[in-house]
Amino acid sequence: MKMTLTDLSLRYPRTLLLLVALATVLFSLQFPKVTFDNDPENMLSADEPVRVFHHEVKEKYSLYDFVIVGVVNETDEHGIFNPGTLARIDRLTQELLSLQQGESGLPEVSSFDVSGQKIGQRTIDLNPQSSIQKTLNVAFNHEPNRLFDEQGQSAIIGRELIAPSVVDNIKQADLGSLKLEYLMERAPTSREEALVIRDDAMNNPLYAGTLVSEDEKAICLYIPIQKKIYSYNVATLVRNLTTDWPDTDQVYITGLPVAEDTFGIEMLVQMATSAPMAGLAIFVLLFLFFRNFSLIIAPMVVAIVSVVCTMGLLIGLGYDVHIMSSMIAIFLMPIAVADSVHILSEFYDTYPRFQDKQKTIRYVIGHLFRPMLYTTLTTIAGFASLGTTPIPPVQVFGLHVAFGVGLAWLLSMTLVPAYILLFVPQKQLQQLSEKSEDQTSTKPGGPLNRFLENLGAFSTLRWRPIILLASALIVVAVIGISRIQVNDNPVKWFSPKHEIRVADRVLNSHFGGTYTAYLTLAETQPGQCDCTENSEVMAAEAEKRFGDIYPEAVRTFQNKLEELKSRYKKISSQDVQRAFVELVHLAEQLDSDTTTVWNELADEINYLDPANLTVETLHDRIASLGHIPRKHKEALHNAVALRSDLTGEELLDAALQLTDSYTANSFVDFVYEMQAELTAPTFKKPQMLRYLEELQAHLTASPVVGKTSSAVDSLKKASYELNYLSPPGGLAEDEMVAYQQRNQSFNAIPDTASAVGQVFVQLEGMKKKDSLFHLITRNYEEANVWVQLTSGDNQDMAIVVADLEDYLTINPPPIPLKVEWAGLTYLNVVWQDKMVKGMMTSLISSFIVVLVMMMMLFRSVLFGILAMLPLTITIMISYGIIGLIGKDYDMPVAVLSALTLGLSVDFAIHFLQRARELQKESGSWEQAARQMFKEPAMAISRNAIIIAIGFTPLLLAPLVPYQTVGFFLATIMGVSWLATLFLLPALLTPLKKLAFGSVDNKDD
Amino acid sequence: MKRTALLTLVFLLVSGTPLLAAALTADDIVAKANQASYYAGNDGKADVTMTITAADGGVREREFTILRLNDGPENQKFYVYFKAPADVRKMAFLVWKNVGKDDDRWLWLPALNLKKRIAPGDKRTSFVGSDFFYEDVSGRGLDEDSHQLIEETADSYQIRNEPKDSDSVEFSYYLVWIDKTNFLPRKAEYYDRQGKLYRTVEALKVETVDGIPTVIESKASDLNASTSTLNSFSNISYNNGLQARIFSERFLRRPPREVTR
Repeated sequence: MKMTLTDLSLRYPRTLLLLVALATVLFSLQFPKVTFDNDPENMLSADEPVRVFHHEVKEKYSLYDFVIVGVVNETDEHGIFNPGTLARIDRLTQELLSLQQGESGLPEVSSFDVSGQKIGQRTIDLNPQSSIQKTLNVAFNHEPNRLFDEQGQSAIIGRELIAPSVVDNIKQADLGSLKLEYLMERAPTSREEALVIRDDAMNNPLYAGTLVSEDEKAICLYIPIQKKIYSYNVATLVRNLTTDWPDTDQVYITGLPVAEDTFGIEMLVQMATSAPMAGLAIFVLLFLFFRNFSLIIAPMVVAIVSVVCTMGLLIGLGYDVHIMSSMIAIFLMPIAVADSVHILSEFYDTYPRFQDKQKTIRYVIGHLFRPMLYTTLTTIAGFASLGTTPIPPVQVFGLHVAFGVGLAWLLSMTLVPAYILLFVPQKQLQQLSEKSEDQTSTKPGGPLNRFLENLGAFSTLRWRPIILLASALIVVAVIGISRIQVNDNPVKWFSPKHEIRVADRVLNSHFGGTYTAYLTLAETQPGQCDCTENSEVMAAEAEKRFGDIYPEAVRTFQNKLEELKSRYKKISSQDVQRAFVELVHLAEQLDSDTTTVWNELADEINYLDPANLTVETLHDRIASLGHIPRKHKEALHNAVALRSDLTGEELLDAALQLTDSYTANSFVDFVYEMQAELTAPTFKKPQMLRYLEELQAHLTASPVVGKTSSAVDSLKKASYELNYLSPPGGLAEDEMVAYQQRNQSFNAIPDTASAVGQVFVQLEGMKKKDSLFHLITRNYEEANVWVQLTSGDNQDMAIVVADLEDYLTINPPPIPLKVEWAGLTYLNVVWQDKMVKGMMTSLISSFIVVLVMMMMLFRSVLFGILAMLPLTITIMISYGIIGLIGKDYDMPVAVLSALTLGLSVDFAIHFLQRARELQKESGSWEQAARQMFKEPAMAISRNAIIIAIGFTPLLLAPLVPYQTVGFFLATIMGVSWLATLFLLPALLTPLKKLAFGSVDNKDD
Repeated sequence: MKRTALLTLVFLLVSGTPLLAAALTADDIVAKANQASYYAGNDGKADVTMTITAADGGVREREFTILRLNDGPENQKFYVYFKAPADVRKMAFLVWKNVGKDDDRWLWLPALNLKKRIAPGDKRTSFVGSDFFYEDVSGRGLDEDSHQLIEETADSYQIRNEPKDSDSVEFSYYLVWIDKTNFLPRKAEYYDRQGKLYRTVEALKVETVDGIPTVIESKASDLNASTSTLNSFSNISYNNGLQARIFSERFLRRPPREVTR
């Protein structure tokens, strides 16, 4: 049964080779269809609620992904605010805005002369100079000049660009007027002009810490892009446009999209270099062990065929190659090699005994079949369990590796025998066996052999200290594990010296932070209006204002309110509008008895020609008005009679003062005012805006949050500038202070909803249309706070989220609010959380599956548990190390647990299986142990060394996840090798009675 | 007043038509169009309902009354008085259009009891957050563009307008279709530097009011942002005998009868 596959391959070796070649070709034909995906957002499935919400928020507030370009000048006395640097920034802005596709398909930007005048267009070619880079770009289908969509539109959304030359500024101008313009209308020509721009920027709460750094040394341009996939090319474009800049102006490019996109591109380079380099290293090591080229080609072929077929399957099934799946080759290679190394190792060591290829193969497969099947099944279980995690790329990765592992096993069982039969010359093997007969005591790899034999003696004799040491290590590991920091940050996927990391560090030290999260606030039950409460408020307010002067009118008004209240019990906003219409009608009637006449009189006065107007002429003209009742005219005469000093406009003002005191008591105005206040949308209500203001202050107090921006900041700034009074010349110091205090008092949220609404209307009509609506919805019902973090660590974001939750519990909003997070930095937190939980369950479930399999394989609970020990210790120690050295538990680390499970149980299976067989043969554990440390230990050690050393090239990769995998593959191999060869014999020695004592010839 | 306008119209219809048949230059056509759309009568008054539609279909409405007075051959004065929504009620704008130099603008915010002068700035910025620019409301200086008659059909002229100072505006050129019968622009299309159409302004409905062909519904669309604004005009009247006094700062604080009634 177990020989069926091998027998078939030995009978039809050529057919089999042909089949394998055919399959490989078929799968590799899928390669050209490859698509890449390096968007961490895809760690969450597309219909994940938080992701859907993130996109809704982006849509609702017209938010885009940004490429962040920082310009830092540390040398100039005014930092960035010198004419030269600002002119370069202005030119860069204009160039970016002018980006268009030329007829050749290449990008084109406007070119400018020294004075900033446009002088024409120039074409840019972003293709790299180096031919290696060019080849890679061709191979991976990366077109550096792709900066346009299918319609030829620029990848940069020009109208949403945030740069000094194109952001709004509101400032005081001549004659107490207000100027609405761009922050940098044109590049400054003098230091003074540059400093004006500095002051304007610093005085705008939306810009200080966001657009310009508060230390004045840096400016950030936020370039909105249509899709994240353009970010790498946009970054390349910016580098190209700034190559001629002097060294004093340092350009840094960052932002999550750039980091992600750059990572994707470098990942491809790694795929193209790391995996082949690891393959090469393995090949060299194999040669060192077996010194026979034709023999060691077999494991390489197995590895390559399984990697090609697995990747072909993945691409053929239409999956994108993601950061995880790019590592399939790297994970698959050691596993694929491991199986065939076991076969080769045994074949190599036993050939001299049989002197016949077929017989040797049959012997080797005969007793390796079972352990190999089981090691394969356990590895498959380990990786397939990743299919249960809620993270799509990890699922795809796990299931495909599982497929590859199965395929590698199949190939080891069939292709390796067929290959040996056909291609390994008998003569070479003859030499091999002669050599080994010559030196029976020291087989090839002699020193290793001797070492292993000594080790075997040590492990069995000194079992007590070994167990003691292992227990101590476990304790240390547990401490390490308890210190594990679950954290991920895509920027940290780059090694610390990478330009992305450097830019990230520099810009986050100058600014409020380049990591963005959005906090959205919306009323829980929008449109709900409490009619009872509203009518009570109005009744009380009417009493307060008019109770003394028009008691009867107030009574009428309150009765109407009562009637409306009972009529519109079922409240909808439609009814509220209708109720107000009725109230206005009533108010007009009430006014006609009281203020209407005063209004008419006021109009008459207002229209009077001020020329030659004196108290007397005013008197005459008013007296002639037929439609004004006498008592009103008399009141006016009395009011101005004594002001004979006034003439013209001043007299009109004095007269209007009187009428104003009456017209102020208009019911109509009152009703409209109440309507504005009571039906104001959530974020025009002063108390809600004040709540938001305090919430922002609380958020900003967090050390990770550099800055928050909301519509409240715009509102306060606009209110300040609108109300600003410039102090007249020649004031004493205390008078100046009083002026400043007065002006500063307007740097606040206005007191009424109408005032808020009127200031907001000014902001709606700024030069850059609709920029306000990034922070508030157009109906003012929902608000968005732009939260900038100086760190992209999920952990830091999670702290901010938790802290806000506490704040909301302690300080509930005046109107219940739905407070939700969005933004890439927040999405990372969500998938990280899912990942940790998902990995935990997948690890536990596969651990149980493997344990059951082990018990079935060995038909013994004890052996089952023993088999699990090396892997348990390996997992504990490797994660203990992660905790102790303070490395974050991120995605690659999490996925490594599956690899550990798959690989370290292999050694134990081989070891225990052979130990049992040998014990049965020799009848003595001591004897068996000695034998164990010959061929079987050799095979295990060869495997461990090949995999551990073979992947050290990964340590040279500029991407941290690759380094992590390289490092931990070595650690896993080392620890599980030690655990298998030390701990298992050390445990079997005292347990030998229990383990072998009662065993009859039950096995096979 | 009304009679003068009617007489003018009759004169144009009777004696003007043959004259028009003689080749009109592009400059003649835009000058006539400018007169027809911005200078009709000595003064004008209309109630406007402005509907701003966002990309997501959300709608904001504003109601205001606009007064216009021709002040000499080219200069004009505008008074805009807001009536709805409730929070901007009584808010007012005053604009003195000074052809050839900067406009004067004032703003009255009643809830803040605040009158503020607005410094001259870019006229191609949004009018109260709508898709119309200040320039669409008060007109663009004829000398700012060079005009070229591209096509003449049975009922319209198509004029291509290119800015003389291309750095001062966001368009590279715009096309205007001008109705031959009344010289009202039917549609304007604005093209960006890449030659892509990104903005349109259309006259959707034209009616004759007081004998003067008048746009009673117009729409501006921002194709990049997918937003649009519809202006509906009602209670239109010409030659109301508006006093110049109304268009002064005094009448910001206390609005004229012409807008409150």
